[in-house]
Amino acid sequence: MLADRWLRNKMVKRLSPWILAGPATFLVLIFLIFPVGSTLFATLTDAKGWLAPYMAFFNSSLRRTVLMRTIEISLITTVISVVLGFIAAYVVAHVPGRLKSIMIIAAVFPLLTGVVVRSFAWLILLGKNGILNSALLSLGLIAEPFSMLYTKGAVIAAMVYLFVPLMILTLAGVLEGIPKDVVEAASSLGAKPFAVFRQVILPLAMPGLIIGAVLVFTGSFTSYATPQLLGGERQMMMGTFLYQRAMVTFDWTGASTVAAIMVVVTIAIVVLMTRLARRMNPMAA
Amino acid sequence: MTVSLTLENVSAHYGSTQVLKDLTLAVAAGELVSLLGASGCGKTTTLRLVAGFLQPSSGTIRLGDRDLTRLPAHQRDIGLVFQNYALFPHLSVRDNVSFGLKQRGADAAERKKRADRMLERVGLSSFADRMPAALSGGQKQRVALARALVIEPPLLMFDEPLSNLDAKLRVDMRVEIRRLQRANGTTSLYVTHDQEEAFSISDRVAIMNAGRIMQLDTPEVLYQRPANSFVARFVGFENLIDMTVVERLGETVTARTKDGALLQLSQERLGAIPDRFILAARPDGLAVARDGNGIPVTLGIRTYLGRAYQYQCAAEGQSYLGNGSLSEPLDTGDRAVLSPVPEQCCILPADV
Repeated sequence: MLADRWLRNKMVKRLSPWILAGPATFLVLIFLIFPVGSTLFATLTDAKGWLAPYMAFFNSSLRRTVLMRTIEISLITTVISVVLGFIAAYVVAHVPGRLKSIMIIAAVFPLLTGVVVRSFAWLILLGKNGILNSALLSLGLIAEPFSMLYTKGAVIAAMVYLFVPLMILTLAGVLEGIPKDVVEAASSLGAKPFAVFRQVILPLAMPGLIIGAVLVFTGSFTSYATPQLLGGERQMMMGTFLYQRAMVTFDWTGASTVAAIMVVVTIAIVVLMTRLARRMNPMAA
Repeated sequence: MTVSLTLENVSAHYGSTQVLKDLTLAVAAGELVSLLGASGCGKTTTLRLVAGFLQPSSGTIRLGDRDLTRLPAHQRDIGLVFQNYALFPHLSVRDNVSFGLKQRGADAAERKKRADRMLERVGLSSFADRMPAALSGGQKQRVALARALVIEPPLLMFDEPLSNLDAKLRVDMRVEIRRLQRANGTTSLYVTHDQEEAFSISDRVAIMNAGRIMQLDTPEVLYQRPANSFVARFVGFENLIDMTVVERLGETVTARTKDGALLQLSQERLGAIPDRFILAARPDGLAVARDGNGIPVTLGIRTYLGRAYQYQCAAEGQSYLGNGSLSEPLDTGDRAVLSPVPEQCCILPADV
């Protein structure tokens, strides 16, 4: 009775959302905002002056190369994953029920093993004595084994393989949600199949496409295991570089700077993608 | 330009089930024909075949002198109005309406001019820049109508366009549809399961059942002179009485019901009566009276209809619905006779 009356009290009613959100807010504050804030704060200045860690980063051509390479590999991975994922998702969205669940399970299956295991599989495939080289050799197509490991291609191939399932999952739902009669309306109004795709399906799939692309981009931009295993020193990316700064050279300020740059680039790319999406479909985002 | 639509011996299958059986249908230039029937009767299948979303397993579909049968949907030049409006959610009302014009290569100024003129005709000028999500159901359907009309198609098709609207709006919209269709003289095919809607809007109605057209005629003829027991039941002839002729005396025919009651019927008033036939009567076609010449029955529940009392009547193994006069109310359990009112009855061939 007393508790009941207390709950009906106007003041309590007004404050209760804040009270309920309190614990979670507190946790986020302590374990996210504060550490990230202090990491960023440490990069703003050092013995050499204001923003010196960033100057150091951008003055080093090696570091600039690592950053550009990371952006390049992530963008290529995203574009390939979007194209492959879209085609696969389109098929998944249009097959009858039973086959659909089998296809979705098949798409998700690789996600059941760890990133390291799946990247390792590519080592076996692409190595000097790997399956691909042996096959090409025995077919007589090449005389000497190709070196495919430690190239951009190897990293991109492995990352596309990692992220396409995510793309398929996000897109299949969105494509299924496009009403059939809207597509039929477009073709009844004279839209050729490509026009239907370009003017109706693509804009309506845009929200899913953006979520998928952001997932793939941030995933590949921050990836560590895959570039480490398949790219090595030669294809160093921001993730591997950060690890090296922090755990090999113990340059904590340098590592924090790398982290800060990664956060900024990721946010910038996400904002850019959302802008692009809104231009194609005002309903998106 | 008004042209006719013809379907000749069109059959369609979903997998191994045949959903349309040798359907032949001609819609004259400028005419509005409705396909009316319960769900699964093949009316929507017919529309989808004409639209090009389905391929017939046999038969031909022609629009004027164009053979549509193998043409892809986007080359058919048909204006379609869908049950769920099917507006493009990412385009403004104006862009929705001009979508068809864009596909036809009209430039931006031309598109805007024609779309705006069309929006004015459906009374939505001030909504041109809105998104479809910001419209009510009736407004959405008017946009869909404008979108279909603006391409000036030789054929308009409607797939249950009013079933998502409330009752009042449904009546307004069907008048609107009829007005625009008449004004443009566009040949139209209209699919619905609502009898009142079909009868009020159409020049002719095709009543469909199990993939066949049971009867295609004007609403007046369908309502008064159904051709078979399916159509009769559909338009409200609730009493279908199997009868056999036992004696002919000039134009007067004596016929017997299954349970032995005798009725005298006049061919002068009912038309030619075959030896075996079905007497079809609406409730007001069977007069309930305390005595006289007719089918003897026991009265069941009485309901008050305002213009008459309606009785559920039971005879040996058969039941009827008949109306009786307000001046002489009868009670449940009373014995009474049912006599047919010739003007409210019709003679149907016996079901095989």
